[in-house]
Amino acid sequence: MTTDTLEAKPAESRPAAAAPTEGRRRRRGRRTEARGGWTLLAPYLILLLVAGIIPIGYALVTSLQRSPTPLQPQAGFGGFDSFITVFSDFRFLDSFLDIFKVMIVWLPIMLIGIVGLALLVHASRGRFGGIMRFIYYVPGALAGIANFVLWVYLLNPSQSPIGFLLQNGGFSTIKGVVSLDNLPFILAGMLFFQGIGTWIVIVNGGLNGIPEEIFEASSLDGANAWQVAWHVKLPMIRPWIGYAALMNLAYGFQLFLEPYLLDQVAGGSLPDQYTPTQLGFAFAFSNYNFPAAAAMSIILLVITLTIGLLIVFRSGLFGEEEK
Amino acid sequence: MKTTAPHWLGTGRARARTVAVSGLVIAAFALTACASGGSTSGGSAQTDSGGDITIWVDPPRVPAAQAFIDAHPEIRVNLTQIDGTVGGKTLQQQFAQFNQAGSGWPDALFFPSNDDIAWASGPQINYTADLTTSLAETIKGYDPAVIAPCAVDGKIVCLRNDAAPDVFWYNKTFFDTNGYTVPTTWEEYATLAGKIATEHPGMVSGFTGDAYAPDRYLWASGCPTNDRLSATEVHINLDDPACQRAKTLLTTLSEGKALSPLGIFDADAATVGQNFVMGPGAVWWGDYLFNQTWKIPAGTMTAVNPLKWEGETTPSTGDEGGGLWGMSNHITGKEAANTVEFMKFVATDPAWQVDLSTGLPGYGPVQDDWIAKQKASNYFADNDTTFAAFKAATGYVVDKHAYMLYNTGGIWTETVTPALVAGNSVDSAWTTFGTELLNQAKSFGYTVVDAGK
Repeated sequence: MTTDTLEAKPAESRPAAAAPTEGRRRRRGRRTEARGGWTLLAPYLILLLVAGIIPIGYALVTSLQRSPTPLQPQAGFGGFDSFITVFSDFRFLDSFLDIFKVMIVWLPIMLIGIVGLALLVHASRGRFGGIMRFIYYVPGALAGIANFVLWVYLLNPSQSPIGFLLQNGGFSTIKGVVSLDNLPFILAGMLFFQGIGTWIVIVNGGLNGIPEEIFEASSLDGANAWQVAWHVKLPMIRPWIGYAALMNLAYGFQLFLEPYLLDQVAGGSLPDQYTPTQLGFAFAFSNYNFPAAAAMSIILLVITLTIGLLIVFRSGLFGEEEK
Repeated sequence: MKTTAPHWLGTGRARARTVAVSGLVIAAFALTACASGGSTSGGSAQTDSGGDITIWVDPPRVPAAQAFIDAHPEIRVNLTQIDGTVGGKTLQQQFAQFNQAGSGWPDALFFPSNDDIAWASGPQINYTADLTTSLAETIKGYDPAVIAPCAVDGKIVCLRNDAAPDVFWYNKTFFDTNGYTVPTTWEEYATLAGKIATEHPGMVSGFTGDAYAPDRYLWASGCPTNDRLSATEVHINLDDPACQRAKTLLTTLSEGKALSPLGIFDADAATVGQNFVMGPGAVWWGDYLFNQTWKIPAGTMTAVNPLKWEGETTPSTGDEGGGLWGMSNHITGKEAANTVEFMKFVATDPAWQVDLSTGLPGYGPVQDDWIAKQKASNYFADNDTTFAAFKAATGYVVDKHAYMLYNTGGIWTETVTPALVAGNSVDSAWTTFGTELLNQAKSFGYTVVDAGK
């Protein structure tokens, strides 16, 4: 907002005599501003280079190598062979189909949950809203392994507090519960409770950014709480919803830890290559085909980047700022 | 309304251009810098620590390493306990990374899965040292059938910890009480299992949910799942009559509700294990599984010779583990000499093999001492028959079964186990198992010969 306000004043509107001094001052100001900008950007740029650009470059080079085989253990230049290996692998399509099943179950629940709960928290002012926000955040604090361990107890019919429900459903062992058919629902549950708290806080931040005058104007126009939420708040937090969709989609595509560990809990009865990232991992560490693993990561990057850009432009994530 | 967009995401076009150009420059730099890398071969100069050795063992083998440390205080040992999951992949992943890095290998280790020897000795990981000369005297003490898993392309690349052929276990108390006769053929076993399951619902005559299950039934039938023809060729054919009879057997057992779809290592198996009345199982099931893990009372279980297939004269059995000790080929000098000392100790020394090991030693000269010690504990219902079966079973292990880069047990637990847990037929799971077996073998670069239809 402030950037636009400053840039909106054209230099030509100033008196001509003052122009050289003004110009120098402005140029100096811009230089200082640019220096400040670069200083603020530098740590991010370094991280981007170290953890983003360089690994991508490394993956590109690796993907063009030839994979060593039992007959020919030495690597060399292999062109696009590794990409062909990946695309023609018998697990490639299955792993994308698997992740698609998880997304279909999880993403709608996640987005509706984030928006619905954030709107509820925002509508509940005062101490009650604060307490609710904290309660919603608690599952999010159980990140990673802690969340996983909790779910392992929850899913084991002989230990779970909901064991009677599982046993009534015909499940007597954890191996029966953690099956391929149930996996999209189990993963959706794990991911939902792991992520929801943080996202409510973020989207609630967006809601807090809406000026009070707008709500006052809506009330004066006779809108009730539901109409304010649906017609005023929801359109205004569209970029945040887009951002939540983007980040969750990217996270979902990179799903690895949960299915990997669930397989161990279920005595190896789940596929080792359930998700595309697991397949990439298998290329590297089971098949010793690092070029194929690198090719798989490039393919995933292209897919997630494309989807990401589509969401960014569709939701107006960046566009709003430039209007 | 501009405030509604997160500023830290939105950057101006000029900045985006700058970032993009910088990115391209760095990527070009990275491409140039990395162009010479990429080899995954394990070849590197051998190193010598001056005597300190690093040993990796799974949890049940910690006492072996500890016994060595106690017996050899002059050798400094760095001991690491690793993931012991049979069919697990973590070890393999670590070795792939060591080879990428060119360092980090342990000097000696116990492989959690016997299949591990395939990648550890293969040209891509190339970890195991050739022990043929350095441990020649020790190797002489093994029955050729016992050391067979370590004989790869004319070299002995590991030492067997224990011989682990399957014998036929049964609950003698249950059989005596109910007047059942112990079967001698696989077909009799299937019929009796169904009868027992009908007369005593809940009693179990086999486990099919762990990575050893195909060894217990398919290997015992001579089914070509792991028939290694050369380093790159394998014979797989699930339509082979030997596979089909195993499939028929499993179908009969499954339809007779005589099997547990659990694996012997599952947390819930200890409860189900109390209802185990008979079935094929390794010799180490006796002390390790029945006695120490499932706590089945003494004087209950007994082993007899493995079963025969109808029309055949000699019993046929598979093998479940019987772990392998491997040694690094990346070391030399004092470090290598001390590691050889360690290998010799864990394979032969009574301080481990007789006093502490739960399985029949692979090394022949200490077998009788181990049996004498086990007999003294008087755990089995019929000790003489049990230990005679232990010794005889080694000779009945079906050959033409090598440990391969693909993990047959892992493929089994991913395909057949979930189907049986869900109550589906063996028949439906069999096709998926066969397809996955072929796909996995091919994905590792094997040419599959005689794959059937």
